[in-house]
Amino acid sequence: MKYSYTWLKELSGTKKSPKQLAELLTMRSFEFENIKTEGKETQLEFSILPNRGHDALSHIGMAREICALERRKFSQTSPFHLETKFPSGMEVKITDKKLCPRYIGAVLENIKVTASPKWMQERLVVCGIKPINNIVDITNYVMLEAGQPLHAFDAKKIYQIPDTKYQILIRRAKKNEEIKLLDEKIYKLTENNLVIADFKKALALAGVMGGFESSINSKTTSIILESANFNSTSIRKTRALHSIITESSHRFERDIDPNLAETAMARAIILIKEIGGKNIEVTALSDVYPKKAKPWQIKLDTNYANSLLGEKIPISKMKNILENLGIKLLGNLVSKLNVEVPTYRIDLKTQEDLIEEIGRIYGYENIKEQAPCVEIKTPPQNAKRDFENKLRDILVGLGFSEVMNYSFYGAEDVAKCNLKIEDHIEVANPLSSEQQYLRRNLISGLLKNIRLNLKNFSEVQIFEIGEKFCNDKEKFSEIPLLVGALANDDAKKSPFFKLKGMFQELLQKTGIRNAEYKALNEEYKFWHPTRAAQIIINGKKIGRIGEISPIVLKNYGIKRRVAVFGLKIEELIKIGAQDKQYNSISKFPTVERDISMFVGKETKYADIVSNIQKNGGNLVKNVELFDVFEKEGEKSLALRIKIGSNSKTLTSGEIDAVMEKIVSSLEKNLKVKVRK
Amino acid sequence: MDKEKIISIKSKFLIEITKAQSEKELYDIKVKYAGRNGELTKILKNLKNLPAEKRKEIGPLANQARQVIEKTYEKRRKELGSQIDWEKEKIDVTIPGEKASRGSLHPITLVYREIEKIFSSMGFEVVEGPELETDWYNFTSLNFPLDHPARDMQDTFWIKSPKEKMVLRTHTSPVQVRYMEKQKPPFRIIVPGRVYRNEATDAAHEHTLHQFEALVVGDDINVGHFKYIAKEFFSAFFGKNINIRLRPSFFPFTEPSFEFDISCTVCGGKKCPSCKNSGWLEIGGAGMVNQNVFVSAGYLRNRYQGFAWGFGIERLAMMKYKIDDIRWFESGDLRFIKQF
Repeated sequence: MKYSYTWLKELSGTKKSPKQLAELLTMRSFEFENIKTEGKETQLEFSILPNRGHDALSHIGMAREICALERRKFSQTSPFHLETKFPSGMEVKITDKKLCPRYIGAVLENIKVTASPKWMQERLVVCGIKPINNIVDITNYVMLEAGQPLHAFDAKKIYQIPDTKYQILIRRAKKNEEIKLLDEKIYKLTENNLVIADFKKALALAGVMGGFESSINSKTTSIILESANFNSTSIRKTRALHSIITESSHRFERDIDPNLAETAMARAIILIKEIGGKNIEVTALSDVYPKKAKPWQIKLDTNYANSLLGEKIPISKMKNILENLGIKLLGNLVSKLNVEVPTYRIDLKTQEDLIEEIGRIYGYENIKEQAPCVEIKTPPQNAKRDFENKLRDILVGLGFSEVMNYSFYGAEDVAKCNLKIEDHIEVANPLSSEQQYLRRNLISGLLKNIRLNLKNFSEVQIFEIGEKFCNDKEKFSEIPLLVGALANDDAKKSPFFKLKGMFQELLQKTGIRNAEYKALNEEYKFWHPTRAAQIIINGKKIGRIGEISPIVLKNYGIKRRVAVFGLKIEELIKIGAQDKQYNSISKFPTVERDISMFVGKETKYADIVSNIQKNGGNLVKNVELFDVFEKEGEKSLALRIKIGSNSKTLTSGEIDAVMEKIVSSLEKNLKVKVRK
Repeated sequence: MDKEKIISIKSKFLIEITKAQSEKELYDIKVKYAGRNGELTKILKNLKNLPAEKRKEIGPLANQARQVIEKTYEKRRKELGSQIDWEKEKIDVTIPGEKASRGSLHPITLVYREIEKIFSSMGFEVVEGPELETDWYNFTSLNFPLDHPARDMQDTFWIKSPKEKMVLRTHTSPVQVRYMEKQKPPFRIIVPGRVYRNEATDAAHEHTLHQFEALVVGDDINVGHFKYIAKEFFSAFFGKNINIRLRPSFFPFTEPSFEFDISCTVCGGKKCPSCKNSGWLEIGGAGMVNQNVFVSAGYLRNRYQGFAWGFGIERLAMMKYKIDDIRWFESGDLRFIKQF
């Protein structure tokens, strides 16, 4: 809120300069935002914390705060009260007392609408409010002074019951009831909106904005002045529904002390009489206030206060701080204080609330740093986070860079990746349609990264560790994934085997040595139907590896082939690293024998290797593929087999025998043609 | 006659060997005289056929010649072996090395690691929680009243959910209640994680952010303890002495609540453009855990005391690496990431 420095000075009696005041309040109460000097006036802007709107969004509230900070009591020269002898030519009916705890209406006659005096206009301007006319300006002035929003209706525009009585109804709006407000826009209301109405129509959207029809103009001669209290939740919902924020709604949704309505009404009547002339008369007044707000008591344990703050503040000092805030001391039993909180401090409900008041006014900078006395123990490790960090380090060593992408994407991405909208979790209030759904895969993000980075790099090798969000028939889940991607520098070459090599290295380094790869061989989501596999460890599917379908790549405008692997991190942790065990290194020599062969297109390398291992037994130390090519529909593989024994040097006869066994089994069982 | 022959073999060998330019030539010369069929070998082999007197005379002579040949050969071989044409070997060492494939960690990961290292050394446990959260854990359990302006402080992404009201968590604080439901004090934890705020992005604002939260609960944890740990942490993180300043604030889940500032990392508090001439940098929020939060987690009211504090990782990373635009973090642009 924007405050007038001279007004604050007048009310609080502070001798501090605007800058000193800004500094003091920032450290003890509210953050200083801005300072501006206009003519003789200085504007000070502070951002008032949401729990202090009910008292500090006013000059009196702020002056009380300044006095408390300067260690003295705030004394209002003349607190305003309503006389009780007003005539009752007006009826106020509240149909929902929960939404309107108090309503004071007053009829004032012989009004002459003119400009307000210059001093008042100046104060409004410095507080950021445009002067309009004397009546409206007075309502705004009282709001700035006391924090209570007021409203004035042109009485002539309000339906008067023939026996000259005014009737004001505070009721819920009818469904689709329409009202034109002061901003000259027509609003369609709902039954949750509270309106001020006469017998016939709605006059104002309660606590938010007045109606256009009944507004004050130069011809107004009599007014109905309103000083009321409305339920904060209801105001908040109404202003949110219609997206209107006004000075009034801003205050009401922060909760206001209903006792303030009376002070403000009294003050406004005095000002109207003072400014508008002696002929002005209050011809009727009605105050409906069924459940009077009363001060409440809190018991404060001063030992607890010091324990929580970590200081030794004397009880006398605490008492002093509380009293300067207007809190009454009812007595104390040794270290326990019994206090009474005035109704204008709605935020003070618990003893911790009081401890905060003591702490901030005592000064947080006066609280000494102290090392906590805690048990020294090593904290339990976070296995997931440690594992993720291990994956990150290995991947970076293999040349991958880490990216982080948004958790959102749009329907377009869902379609581009061949996914289904209904499997997605939807954001109710997305920033844009491109961010309407929670990602169900990390791959679309990585594909976008690849497209971007291929502009600057010939090869892109990236990974992300992040959550995917699933909606499986309205069952929501969140699954941490690791996804790595590789785009080659050559559009024709498949990046699959390069990626797979790195992936195998990743598993090896994490201590997992028994992964199997099962060809996918079907169209599935964004995968290449004939160049992708499921990754299976101990019979459990933990992810996939493969090329991305060229159609999907085209959708993303990528002109290279891209290979990707994706793993469920938690599954991987469950499998765990196999314990490393040393295998004795043979003292006897091994020999290498090469075999090249033609195999059918459907023959799998994995089958060839297991066949060799089965037939060669433990004499086969290693099998390695060193060449692959395809010619006239036939695949040619060249393998290097290491043969040796742990117990002796093999003779060439023995080696030949093993090789022969291997070759004949390959020819017989897998129908390969070994080139001799 | 043999005597002369031996002397001649020796001198011929010594002359030839000086001319040899490679180890192979050298070897051939040695073989010619001292190999299996070499001239000197023949003489040595024939010794046994000589009369004893002659053998006494020739024998030592021939053996001595053989030793000379062997020794000279070895010496010469070593000389030849260490003779390299250094000029021919010469390379331009200023040419850059072959490109090694190198990956980079995301700067957010780097900052997280540093923070976690410091807190782990102070005995904090690292705890995580879900990003898709219920309204209860994100707001209600943390003492946010329903339809209260406090909920506006954090622009929220709401989820279309058939059952429970759900959100993308707006802070890491839901993990406070999740953790306390399962654990009893005393404890000290840190909670790293991704959070979401429904606000438009620009150089200083992001809707997807990374946060860090610390929670310490025990019988007598107080504001002074918070100040101490915050000072320890930031001094370790920035590698210099950092001061902490608390200002009043409001958060539903803490009471009292603070904004906390650290002394400017550039000027140390002397006032400079980096701290807008205030000497302080605004870092995050903190406070003493509201008793209502303990009650949400199932603890008895006023049985424990604790503090909670949180701050944004992006802000720390931007300060540490002098990054000028927050949108780089989620850009996926390797021109950015490869710098780390």
